[in-house]
Amino acid sequence: MSDEAVAAVAPAEIGEVPSARAIRRYTAQAANARGGAGLGTVLSDVYFAVISVAISVLVALGFTRNLRLDVHPSTHVETSWDLSLPALVAIVLLAGAGALLSVAGRLGPVGAGGAEAAWWLGLPVDRRGLLRPASLRLPALAGVVGGVVVAVLESGLLATPGSTVGRAALAGVVAGAGVVLVAGVAQSAGARRRTIALVGDLVALVGPVAALVLVLTGAELPALTPGWLVVGLVAAAVVALAVLVDRRLGLIPARSLRESGSVATQAVGAVVSLDSRELGRALTDGALPAARRRVSRLRTVRGAASALVTADLVVLRRSTRHVVQLVVAALLPAIVVAVPQLASPPGVLVALLVAGYVAASATGEGARRAEMAPILDRLLPLEARTVRRLRMVVPGAVMLLWSLVAFTAVGLWADRLVGWLALAVASAPVWAAATVRAAYRSAPDWSGPLVSTPAGALPGGVAAVLARGPDVVVLGLLPVWIAVLIGRTGTVLLTAQLLFAVIAVAVASSIETRPLMERMMAAQEPEKRP
Amino acid sequence: MSKPVVRAQDLLVGYGGAPVCAPVSFTLAPGKAVALVGANGSGKSTVLKSVLGLLTPASGTLRVLGEPVDERDVEFRTRVASVLDDDAYFPALTVAEHLYLTARGHGVLGAQAVVDELLEEFGLADHRTALPVALSSGQRRRLLLAAGFARPRSLLVLDEPEQRLDRAMRDRLAQRLLAEKRDGGAVLLATHDPDLVLAVADRAVVVADDVSRLVDAPQAARFISRENP
Repeated sequence: MSDEAVAAVAPAEIGEVPSARAIRRYTAQAANARGGAGLGTVLSDVYFAVISVAISVLVALGFTRNLRLDVHPSTHVETSWDLSLPALVAIVLLAGAGALLSVAGRLGPVGAGGAEAAWWLGLPVDRRGLLRPASLRLPALAGVVGGVVVAVLESGLLATPGSTVGRAALAGVVAGAGVVLVAGVAQSAGARRRTIALVGDLVALVGPVAALVLVLTGAELPALTPGWLVVGLVAAAVVALAVLVDRRLGLIPARSLRESGSVATQAVGAVVSLDSRELGRALTDGALPAARRRVSRLRTVRGAASALVTADLVVLRRSTRHVVQLVVAALLPAIVVAVPQLASPPGVLVALLVAGYVAASATGEGARRAEMAPILDRLLPLEARTVRRLRMVVPGAVMLLWSLVAFTAVGLWADRLVGWLALAVASAPVWAAATVRAAYRSAPDWSGPLVSTPAGALPGGVAAVLARGPDVVVLGLLPVWIAVLIGRTGTVLLTAQLLFAVIAVAVASSIETRPLMERMMAAQEPEKRP
Repeated sequence: MSKPVVRAQDLLVGYGGAPVCAPVSFTLAPGKAVALVGANGSGKSTVLKSVLGLLTPASGTLRVLGEPVDERDVEFRTRVASVLDDDAYFPALTVAEHLYLTARGHGVLGAQAVVDELLEEFGLADHRTALPVALSSGQRRRLLLAAGFARPRSLLVLDEPEQRLDRAMRDRLAQRLLAEKRDGGAVLLATHDPDLVLAVADRAVVVADDVSRLVDAPQAARFISRENP
């Protein structure tokens, strides 16, 4: 400031401004004193967290080990386009790093939300001190996730010896933290959240595309488990990045901190309340531009029904994250059938179901938003049941394309391509039905009695709520399951799939919120009366 | 003549490059108050956000305390106080502790006396130990306003301070803002309250889509009354 460094008005004499650490302590002490966060509570929380993580890691490890031991190299068709398991792991990790960068960009990664934005950011203290814990939280979490994922993949899928797994896991820790810190440096340099997220999305896309290139060219990736020297050098680089981010914390404008904090608060709330739809909205909205260069003229709108379908299509088209998700999910079955160790019926089936659900989820953004705020639905003269059916149009069309790509890979793996393509067409409505059913599921009932679990208190019936959507995939695609497991299609399976698709669409069109059993009992009530 | 605290010349504000209102121009001197008036969504709060450095202007000149706006500058934060519609509080801090945090965070000596006085003035004395969750919407608004006066400042920026306040509290706020001006502080406020404009503002900017113009306080009050009959 150029002149009069002293404020014109003051409520009293002004002394020394406290340190940022003192401000944080003052706030934390009050919270600890009233929030019951005594040493016992903290230890108990840490205990439950460690137990939960350990159980999850062991389950994941067991799953990947069983996958490696149970599936056997494909005997269906001899192909010249193979992908080695280590190459697949490397590609998965690359895609994971891209996804992590995308999420870090959407979350900030450094932010100050809610009360911190309102009461801390206006203080004339060194912002670095205020933001330091927040700036370290996400890299630390990403490091843990990176280490666990790498350890599980190396140990479970590649059967790497213990000492090498430790080194690889350390590399995973360092890489996970490093990716988030790179996002932090970009944020402090003024990069927009959506730019960082876009770069992450593109990196995530590079993984499967690289796999496809490797498969088509027959190129081999060298062993990627880094030596101690490389791990040490990367760790040193990550520490340098952490120092750089710390030094630049004061350069991040309050606007960016507030926006990032708001997204992070919404995302954490969604995770705590087990609301994946809200989490998706938080991550998507966090990277949306404030305005668009062009206004869509919506030329395809001819009436209420086409307005709804067009709106869903525009929502999908404008979300890079979901388009990338679709492309990656479409390539996944092709990659899995190219890996001899995974190209067995169970391996292909798992790939098909997981990739299909990931792709289908990407197509349901319109329905999910409508469930939260049915603004357009209320404006249009359409029945609720019709709205549900119309919401299946875009997921159905997109999943038809996805199915044709994915089932082509399956068809090439299992032979008799035409039959598989017919099955792809017949199964597409099931994916759409699952997407809409998941989008319109009710939230878990947190007002009822909670059930104590190792992962904390959860509302009763939460599994039933979260299963709405995946249940249609599991049951509605039974003919596909059978076809993949026996390795061939046929008229019976195709007819059955068509029938299942009709049932799935009928189920997803239902606007009933009560469980089936409750409805059946209610229907019997009048008969009991004299 | 003292240097202006805020000088905006053809200031164009908006989101993503799209302006939300016509360019605004005004000068705010120490000991004076300028009100931003206009319809809902006209861009008043967006102008305030630009003055506070929470939004980068699309074009035009904006200087606060003689310098381009940079809220990362510690001195800017020392001298510019704001009360926006941030309805966010630390759930474990009491009403009084929120004010202590603000006062002590700005190095105010004798913070307890300052906080006691503000609690009394804003009708929060009976709620000094209450947690935010136990406060009504109006009480939370008064807490935010009290925090704006618990710290040193050369410029006080208020976004619709009359919201959720009863008549008596609005009058008290007007008196507080007059005292602020007398002490040499500058006040920039966005408001829909004609009485507050008449009582406090020296000049007003009518913020609008087509053309934003500088008017005197009675004209601004008449404009508000016409917009909100």
